[in-house]
Amino acid sequence: MLSLQNVTKLYGTVIGVNDVSAELGQGAHGLLGPNGAGKTTLLGLITGQLRPTIGSINVFGQPPFGNRRILSRIGYCPAADLTERNATPQEWVTYLMRLSGFDTAEAPRRAARALDEVGLGEACTRPLSTLSKGMRQRAKLAGAFAHEPDLLVLDEPFDGLDPVARHDLVSLVRRWAQTRSLIVASHLLHEVEALRADLAVILGGRLVANGSASEIRDLVDALPTEVKFKTSSVDKLAQMACAAGVVETLCMPAEDTLVIGTRQAGRLADMVAKAVHEGLVVHEVLAEDRTLEGIFSRLMKLHRGVEQ
Amino acid sequence: MKDLPQTVAAHDLAQSRPPEGNWFVAIRAVAGFQLNRLMTRPRLAMGLIGAVFPAAVMFAVIRTAPIDRNMTVVMIYALIPEALCVLGLLVTMCPVVADELERGTWIHVTVRPGGRQSLLLGTYAAAVLWTGSVSLVALMLTLFIAQPTQPIGLVVMFTALIGLSCVGRAALFALPAVILPKRALIASVGVALLVEYFAGLLPAVVNQVTVSLRLRSLLVEWMEWQKDLPIEMTLFVDDYPALVQIVAVCILVFILLTTAGFILNRRQFPPSVEN
Repeated sequence: MLSLQNVTKLYGTVIGVNDVSAELGQGAHGLLGPNGAGKTTLLGLITGQLRPTIGSINVFGQPPFGNRRILSRIGYCPAADLTERNATPQEWVTYLMRLSGFDTAEAPRRAARALDEVGLGEACTRPLSTLSKGMRQRAKLAGAFAHEPDLLVLDEPFDGLDPVARHDLVSLVRRWAQTRSLIVASHLLHEVEALRADLAVILGGRLVANGSASEIRDLVDALPTEVKFKTSSVDKLAQMACAAGVVETLCMPAEDTLVIGTRQAGRLADMVAKAVHEGLVVHEVLAEDRTLEGIFSRLMKLHRGVEQ
Repeated sequence: MKDLPQTVAAHDLAQSRPPEGNWFVAIRAVAGFQLNRLMTRPRLAMGLIGAVFPAAVMFAVIRTAPIDRNMTVVMIYALIPEALCVLGLLVTMCPVVADELERGTWIHVTVRPGGRQSLLLGTYAAAVLWTGSVSLVALMLTLFIAQPTQPIGLVVMFTALIGLSCVGRAALFALPAVILPKRALIASVGVALLVEYFAGLLPAVVNQVTVSLRLRSLLVEWMEWQKDLPIEMTLFVDDYPALVQIVAVCILVFILLTTAGFILNRRQFPPSVEN
């Protein structure tokens, strides 16, 4: 469905996306990264808003930039708020449908159905200026899928929604992904996790990890795990750990703190248990966060060169 | 909130496949949407002031001293096809891209098949319709105040001049609007002054590519002023037939809009600008 070959996007001297290569098949994909990571630029490239400075991008086998055939198969819900305030959601989505080429009879019918699906049926005749941000977000989402595209691209789609609306829209989007393709960009991992999508992690314009949630866990599992100890005998614990041969990295950020990086967390735990049994005082042991949030944070640190 | 269909048969998918865009529908949609945007109180007030302004000037002049028919025509020409049309188009055509970026609608429009071209041509159509309508109202009011002889002939002639002024100048302003969207108004004022009012008055080849030369030449021809025109004034008009002048404006419009469309198709804005 989507092929990126060494895609780089420069804005003058600023790098938006840096040498990204990936192949994404049909289904749901989550694009994760903090603000400013390059997610929106990457989505801009996928949706034909931008053209790569270097490399090539193909959606459904063809470059999307200025390609009417490909653009007609893509639906895009951008992150930016909709500031077209005078129109009603019904008028706005009808306008978008007519831009997509639907005639004056079909366009309002599709708009009404999409607005109904996102739960804006009753509010669809109120001006956008009188709607909450969450309701405008729903209107944007309706505009993105009302023409029933083969690929739905959503940039921070749940931003500004209350928990109930978020749950409803997650369910809606998840059902969409059962029959068609979906790319969702977010800086919130739980949003993407809720969609049960494959993950691509982008940071500093680079794709730092790509695969299913479990594949990314495996990737991180292969890296040293950090365990932080608070003890009054930092030197002794460090000596024991080194002697046991379980240390990859060693760091003493404070007088009473020792951070050990290891690929043999089990052996390290055994060694520490034995040391404690022999009288070593350990006040606190803090293992690295192994949730997906932790993994995301870890990948970011790795990319920034904090961990070697 | 309702469910989307759980499964979609291949047949349904094929039937529901979106069209690859329909230019005519899309251009009409943009034009209608842009005209709706112009139907706000400030814009309507601005249009009303524009429509009344030439009549007010005419009223002030004829109260001071009566003027003959030819002078009335020259005044109407200067006030409406030259001044009012240009001002109206500066307001309606220049923000073709800047307005979309400011309202956050640029991405929504340009992700549609043919969205960029539809945006340009739809806004162009709306600008011509809006400015043309305001100018026609201004023409009627001004003629009502001036009370010239043979008013029907003047209505027909000025309607044609207003139409040509609007289609020509809107295309002219489309170019700076797509090249410098954030400075479109300033750039367009510069274009209007330099191209239309400076180059257009130069007795050189360069004035051939201006709308103002065509309009002046048409005015002189339709008013049958050629014989009475002072020799030095003949430098500022073209003596080709009216049809040639009209075709020249059409060719100019085609070249300008094609160039603007070509540039707009290649415009890319970083997300920071779009947001």
